[in-house]
Amino acid sequence: MLYIRALDLGGPHAFSHHFAEGAITVVLGRNNAGKTRLARAVAGLDPSRPGTVFINGADVSTLSARRRRVGLVYQAFVNYPNWSVFDNIASPMKAAGRGRDRDADEMARTVEALADRLQIGDLLDRLPEALSGGQQQRVAIARALAQQGDVLVMDEPLVNLDYKLREELSLQLREIVQSDGLTVLYLTSDPKDAFTLGDEVLLLQDRTKLQSGTPLAVYNAPVSAAAADLMSDPGVNRLGEQILVRPEHLRLAPSADGDAVFEAEVNSVETSGAETFLHCRVGGADWVARLPGMADVQAGARARLYVAEDDLIRFD
Amino acid sequence: MQRANNRAWLAVAPVVLVVAFTAIAPLMTVVNYSVQDIFDVHTRLFVGLDWYRETLRDPRFLEALARQLGFSALVLALEIPLGIWIARCMPLQGRMTVAFLIVLAVPLLIPWNVVGVIWQIFARPDIGLLGAAVTALGVSYNYTSSALDAWITLALMDMWHWTSLVALLCFAGLAAIPPAYYQAAELDGASRWQVFRHVELPHLKSVLTIAVLLRLMDSLMIYTEPFVLTGGGPGASTTFLSQYLTSMAVGQFDLGPAAAFSVLYFLLILLLCWLFYTSVMKRGDEAA
Amino acid sequence: MASIRISGLHHRYEPDAAPVLEGVDLELGDGEAHAILGGSGAGKTTLLHLLAGLLHPSAGTIEFDGREVTGASPAERHVAQVFQFPVLYPALDVAGNLGFPLVNRGWSAAAVRRRVGEVAELLSIAALLTRKPKRLSLFEKQLTAIGRALVRPDVALVLLDEPLTAVEPAAKWRLRQALKAVQDELGLTMIYVTHDQTEALTFAERITLLHHGKVLQTGSPEALYQQPAHEAVARFIGSPGMNLVDGEVSAGSIRCNGQVLGTTAAADGRCLLGFRPEWAAVGDRGVPVTVRTTRALGTLSGVAAGLVTAELDGKVIHVQQRLDGLVGNQARLLVDPSRILLYRDGWLVNDATG
Repeated sequence: MLYIRALDLGGPHAFSHHFAEGAITVVLGRNNAGKTRLARAVAGLDPSRPGTVFINGADVSTLSARRRRVGLVYQAFVNYPNWSVFDNIASPMKAAGRGRDRDADEMARTVEALADRLQIGDLLDRLPEALSGGQQQRVAIARALAQQGDVLVMDEPLVNLDYKLREELSLQLREIVQSDGLTVLYLTSDPKDAFTLGDEVLLLQDRTKLQSGTPLAVYNAPVSAAAADLMSDPGVNRLGEQILVRPEHLRLAPSADGDAVFEAEVNSVETSGAETFLHCRVGGADWVARLPGMADVQAGARARLYVAEDDLIRFD
Repeated sequence: MQRANNRAWLAVAPVVLVVAFTAIAPLMTVVNYSVQDIFDVHTRLFVGLDWYRETLRDPRFLEALARQLGFSALVLALEIPLGIWIARCMPLQGRMTVAFLIVLAVPLLIPWNVVGVIWQIFARPDIGLLGAAVTALGVSYNYTSSALDAWITLALMDMWHWTSLVALLCFAGLAAIPPAYYQAAELDGASRWQVFRHVELPHLKSVLTIAVLLRLMDSLMIYTEPFVLTGGGPGASTTFLSQYLTSMAVGQFDLGPAAAFSVLYFLLILLLCWLFYTSVMKRGDEAA
Repeated sequence: MASIRISGLHHRYEPDAAPVLEGVDLELGDGEAHAILGGSGAGKTTLLHLLAGLLHPSAGTIEFDGREVTGASPAERHVAQVFQFPVLYPALDVAGNLGFPLVNRGWSAAAVRRRVGEVAELLSIAALLTRKPKRLSLFEKQLTAIGRALVRPDVALVLLDEPLTAVEPAAKWRLRQALKAVQDELGLTMIYVTHDQTEALTFAERITLLHHGKVLQTGSPEALYQQPAHEAVARFIGSPGMNLVDGEVSAGSIRCNGQVLGTTAAADGRCLLGFRPEWAAVGDRGVPVTVRTTRALGTLSGVAAGLVTAELDGKVIHVQQRLDGLVGNQARLLVDPSRILLYRDGWLVNDATG
């Protein structure tokens, strides 16, 4: 269990949060939202930051990073360059004083099990420099898991990978890190990660907590326009101050009688094969519509955009 | 919050203690001497700022100061551009780079008095390679009798000894520039000079600041090499501040004046380095 | 602006090293926005350097407007480039950076000022002209770097090397829009290199997929998405990529695990069956599959929709659909029969025009 009380992230309000136990919490925020500060505070790398961190009910604020047993995976692929993959993964267990005598066999089994889980089982004798970026990051994740602590923090671990490797690892990551009781913090600026990885999502903005809950709950009932925007790629469309429309809820044809209708002037059309993005002007604001498949609309044309009444997000 | 702050102080405490014993305590002793006239262990007289006044009015101090500033300015003006030039000529990678680095490191590994001895022999007009060669060319050269020759020899020796340091620092700075900057400049049609002015120099700024500071501090303190090479002569033409100070404190046992001199000398170095550093930082901020 | 023709381009860095590019052919029309897509090690950066003239090929030719430039220097080619991270001259302000290539080509101060003003206006950075790079955001820096790349009116080709890598998702949209707006406005010939298929598909009119130094397919975003010519293209394009499962053709029917999925004119024999995640549905009809996970990606009229991950014959497949009505982990998979693609020895063998 991870509980943070009155942590000073440098924002207007101190940060407090009960992280869901044994679950993955995706911490979503833009640059300078306070993500990395939060990660460092949990791992114990900022001992002078005011605030209290509880792990399993015990106040660990005064414990050094070494004694907290919080696994940390960074953006960069951080491994020991002169150690083999096996030794890298075994390093946290060796540091904890295991790996001697009788424990050696058990440690080897643990390393092999972790390596298999991350699909690097046949690379155990290699040095990190002989691996691709994706494999290096798998080693770093295995090493963090080998800590066998209660908390794992991942700070945008996939951002430096090629797109396809990123996609592949992100689809596997849930199964990899899900194990009994491990509480995972996954830091990212990509809203898609909240859905593909998160049991819970925690929105950070300006070093302050904006909202938290299950991804769908936060998606369906954002507390503010900023919260809706953070959970949307591309960003949400605004209709005045009170109403928001998500880009994926706009359609070129009505689905029911009660649909809201908007007159749009199409500025440009982008297609990704699976989807088409219409960038348009609606009532003096810039909007984006995210339509499935290919849409037969040209730049410069006028279009009618429909959205179901219950898909509108209203603030009173 | 309180607890965290107190712990931070505890962490700094050892450093404060070490600095206090190694730097502040001896310095305060010197300051103490500089305001007293000391006859023997039990007889001393408080003289206030008299020694400082006397030192500042001492023509030999002022001449040594002028020589000191001139020498520092000269070697900086020579070593910094030369060091940058050498670094730019070095290949960035490969076997040649290693050879260059080793050759550059050699002068830095030689003890200072040995540097003096090497040059004392090297520049002798009768048997030294340099001195004899120059003399054979028909140029009248003798660093023990001509003040100009002594200065040229000292400057050459200092360059030989220290340009490597500047070159090594600059090489490290150049090696850290991403290749994309050179590619962009090439596509933008930049000349070699513009590549230096707009790509290399801005990226070398912090490295050069350190190089200039190190060379400034060190050249202001130069003692051993001229002591060995020229002994401060001919006449007093190569007597710099540190040599004059030594002759006062060790040769004549004028502890009071020597202490006042020391304090002034220390403040001078501090002042010059501070002026340089703040001007660089200030310009950096304006440029930002 | 120029049309570009690349023929039989080979490149290796050392005479006995493995080739990085092996016979690349490519033609670009004047003013075309073209993307080169590939993973790491595909040879993208080498191709860019060859086009810019920073490298010269081991074999093959490069022509700009019918004029061969294979051996020409970067300056002779009039090529500009935008890099992964913003490359700016730190000592120059934004105006100085934008004007740099013009000053180097001997433009008068007044002409430089006029042109810099125009470009700054186009990219909406006119208010930043007197700022030094240090005081710009990452987004503004990259916008300035883009401006410098297109400041020369005679630029033949603008190369973009993963220009959006450094900016965060929210800013990517704005930067890409800005880029496309100037491309439209100025009619520039642009080559955009990336490993991100969404960026490539949304930016370009045509895309070339480079794989281990060879071109696997060149075509419109639609063609690469709907009719990938090669298995590797099918996997690379789409997020997640195309599902590829074992199947066979016998007597005109496409079979998978004994079930008939559709019909084809292709010859009998084993093959891989390809279908996009949104061309299939997991429900109560079709081939038996084991559902591993379901992940919601949003809701539509209150119904969760997202990604179903399932196993078919030991292979993992992804299906994009509504998530209501899925109970338990035993389910069946139905694929739109008109859209099943057949691959043999890597290459597409049927022309499923669905």
